[in-house]
Amino acid sequence: MLVYMLFDSIHYLIFLSIVFVLNYLLPHKFRWVLLLVASLYFYLVAGASTIFVALIIVISTFICGLLLDRGKNAKTKKFYLLIGLFINLGLLAFFKYINFFIATSFDGFNMMHHFVNTGEVFDKTPIVLTLLVPLGISYITFQAIGYLIEINRGNYSAERNLGLFTTYLLFFPKLLSGPIERAHNFLPQLLQKHDFDYSQVVQGLKRILWGLFLKLVVANRLALYTSAVFSTSEQHTGITLLVAAVFFMFQLFADFGGYTEMAIGSAQILGFRLMENFNNPFVSKSTTELWRRWHISLSTWFSDYVFNPIVIDKRDWNRWSVVYASFVTFLLLGFWHGANWNFLIFGFLQALVLSLEFLTKKSRKKLRNHFPDFVNNIVGVLYVIAFFSFSLIFFNINDTNTAFSIIKKIFTFRGSFYFDSPSLILYSVIGIFTLLLVQYKREYYKGNFSFTNNKSWIVRYFIYCSLILLILLIGVFDGGQFIYFKF
Amino acid sequence: MMKFIIIKTKKNKYLFFLIKLLLLFAVVFIFDAAIGAVLKHYYFKQESGLQYRTTYSIEKTKADLLVFGASRANHHYHPKVFEKGLKMSYYNVGRDGSSIMYHKGVLNAVLKRYTPKIIILDFVIEEFMKIDGNYDRLSSLLPYYQTHPEMRLIIELKSKYEKYKLISSIYPYNSSLFTIAMGNTESNKKRKGDINGYVPLTKVWNDSIIVDNRTGNYELDSTKIKVYESFIQDCIHSQVKLYIVFSPHYIKFRHADSSILIAKEIAQKYHVAFIDFSKDAFFLKSHQLFQDIDHLNDDGAKIFSNLMIDKMIQSRN
Repeated sequence: MLVYMLFDSIHYLIFLSIVFVLNYLLPHKFRWVLLLVASLYFYLVAGASTIFVALIIVISTFICGLLLDRGKNAKTKKFYLLIGLFINLGLLAFFKYINFFIATSFDGFNMMHHFVNTGEVFDKTPIVLTLLVPLGISYITFQAIGYLIEINRGNYSAERNLGLFTTYLLFFPKLLSGPIERAHNFLPQLLQKHDFDYSQVVQGLKRILWGLFLKLVVANRLALYTSAVFSTSEQHTGITLLVAAVFFMFQLFADFGGYTEMAIGSAQILGFRLMENFNNPFVSKSTTELWRRWHISLSTWFSDYVFNPIVIDKRDWNRWSVVYASFVTFLLLGFWHGANWNFLIFGFLQALVLSLEFLTKKSRKKLRNHFPDFVNNIVGVLYVIAFFSFSLIFFNINDTNTAFSIIKKIFTFRGSFYFDSPSLILYSVIGIFTLLLVQYKREYYKGNFSFTNNKSWIVRYFIYCSLILLILLIGVFDGGQFIYFKF
Repeated sequence: MMKFIIIKTKKNKYLFFLIKLLLLFAVVFIFDAAIGAVLKHYYFKQESGLQYRTTYSIEKTKADLLVFGASRANHHYHPKVFEKGLKMSYYNVGRDGSSIMYHKGVLNAVLKRYTPKIIILDFVIEEFMKIDGNYDRLSSLLPYYQTHPEMRLIIELKSKYEKYKLISSIYPYNSSLFTIAMGNTESNKKRKGDINGYVPLTKVWNDSIIVDNRTGNYELDSTKIKVYESFIQDCIHSQVKLYIVFSPHYIKFRHADSSILIAKEIAQKYHVAFIDFSKDAFFLKSHQLFQDIDHLNDDGAKIFSNLMIDKMIQSRN
C-alpha cells in the first residue's frame, strides 16, 4: 500500500518549510534542481517501486517531444506523436484499467459461452493482477499527452533540458491530484527569476490555510457522516441517503478544493503560479456552467484535446456534433476517474444533461424571461445541486447495484432521518455554510469588504486566527487521504 | 529608534516576513491558551454524561470492582447485582466505542491512584482487527494528557505527531465544544442516565436471531494485542483479580473469531479466567433479554450479572 505525504500532515508542512527556505537561499539558477530533488523525494516517500514508471513516462515523452519538434513533415510528426501517446496511454491503461478490461472481457466471454452452450455453467474466475498504481499517473500522463499534442500543433517547442522537463511533470505540489498544468504555462516559470515576493508568499500561505480549513473542518467532518451512511446504505432511509448524497457533494468539493488550494498555495510561496482548478462552482445555475467552474484543469484538457477536435471533425452534423462530442468527452472523463462502470454512468449522466441543456438553450432562455432574475438564479442553483449530488452517487459507490438501490430508496422518501450525533450535523452545516458564504462573497461581492486582504491588519489577523483556531477546535484530523489521490 | 528599526526591518523582506509570521503565531498561541483554558474549565465542570464518567473513572473512583469495556460493558453488568452478590463497591468505567487502547489508558490512571480488588474486562469480537483510523477513539483521553503522564504513551499511539498537536490547549477538546456546552446547561447537569457508570437499556429485541457466517479471519493489529497483554500483566503485577468476559450476543457465530482465540490464549498463558458466553444456549433463546443483537437490556443485564457472579465464585474455588 502506498503511503503518501498528505498535504494536511505535519510531515508535509515540515517538508514544505524546508523547501521554502532552501528555495530562497539558493542562487536562482539552482532552484529548479532543488525543486526536482524535492519532487523526487516527495515521490519516493510513497514508495520507490513505482518511480520507474513515472521516469519512463518522463523520458519517453521528453524524447518524443524532441523528435516531434525536429520532425520534417506531418507524417513523421504524427508517427512520433502516436508513439508518445501509445506509451503514455498504454502505461495508464495497463496500471489503471487492466483488471477492468480482463473482468469485462471475461464477463463478455461468459455471456457468449452461456448463449452458445445453453445451460452450461462457466465456473472460471477472471485473473486479477495485483498492481501498484504509480503515484499521480493519471495526472502525469495527461500533462505529457497535452505537451506532445501542443508540440504537434506547432504551439510550443520541445523542452531541451531533461531536468527542467522532469521538474515540470513531477513538480510536487501538483503531482498527486493536479492541477493538470500546461507545459507552456509552467516551463517558462522554471527559468524566470523568482525573488522573494512578500505579498505572493503571504497569498500562498493564505491559500494553504484555507485549503487546510476545507479539508479538516469541512471535508473530513462530512466524511464521518457520509461514510457511516453509505457503508451501511441498506440500513438507512431515503431521506438519510438523500442528505448523505448532498453532503458528499460538498465533501468532494471541500476535499479536492482543499487539496487544490494547498497545491496552488505551496507553488505560490515558491514563486510559481499554477492554474486554478475551481471557480466557485456552487454559484452555477446550469450543469454547463458547473463544468466551467469544477475541476477546470481536467475539463479544459478534455475540451482542448477531445471535445473541440470532435466538434470540428464532425461539424457537418451541426448541433449533433456537440451532442456526440459531449458524450465521448464525458464518458472518457468518467472513465478517467476509475476503472468501474459507475464512473462511466457518472460521465454518461453529465453528458446527457449537458446535451439537453445545449439542445434546449433557446427555449429555456424564453422561459427564464418570464421570471425575475433572483427566482431563475435560485432555481438554477438548486437544480445543479440536486443533479450533481444525484450523479455523484455513482461516483462515490463502487457497486452499481448498490448505487441504484440507493437511488430507488431516495425516491421512496420514507422513514426517519439518521442523526448520528447533533454535534456532527451542527459542525457539518457550519462547514457547508462557511464554504457557500465564501463562494458567494467571492462571486458577487468581489470588490466589497475583503477579509483576508483587508487593509486593516486587525481584521486580517482576526481571520487568520479564527481559521487556525477553528481547525484546532472542530477540524477532524487523521481523516485519511484525499479523495482525488486515488484517480 | 523604533521608527529606524521598523524601516530597517521592512527593507529586509525576509526578516519582515519572519517577524510577521512569529507575531501571528504569538497571537494564535495566546488565543489558543485562553480558549483552551475556558474549555478545560467547563469540561471538568460537568456533573453527568459521558465525559464526566470518563473523568470520574480516571480521577475519582475508588470502587473495589471495576468493569472495563465498550458499550457492552456499559450495558451488561448491573451494579446492584454485583454489589449485593460480591459485597463490594462497583463502578463501570466502560465507554461506548472504546477499544483495548482506551481501557489500558484508564487502567494506567486507576492503578496509579489505588488498587481495585477485581477488574472485569468485557472483550468484543474483532477487538484486534486492524482498522484505519481506529485509534481516533483515543481522542476521548486527550483532555487528560497533560495531567496524567501515566496515560501519555497510550494517547500518543493515536497518531505519530500527537504530542506536537497537544502543544495546543484547544486541541484536547477538539470536536467537544458542543458536548461541553450542552453538558454545562442546567438541564443536562441534572441528568442521571447512569447508575455508577452502568447505563440500563429498556427496549426489547423482537426479531429473529442473527447468524454470523463471517470467517472470523482478518488482518490483526499487533499493537492492540501487545496492549491487551500489557493490560493483563499490569493487573497481575498489581494483584488485581482479573476476569475477561465475552458477554452474550443475540447472534449465532458459525466461526471462531481470531481476536477471541488470541485473547483466550493470552489469558490462559497468564492463568486469567476467560469466560465465554457466546454459545450460552439460554441467551441464544431469549430475545426478550436483548435490546438489539449486541446489547442486553436491563432485565438481561440482571440475569447475566447473576450468572457472572456464579462463574466468578466458581473460578475462585
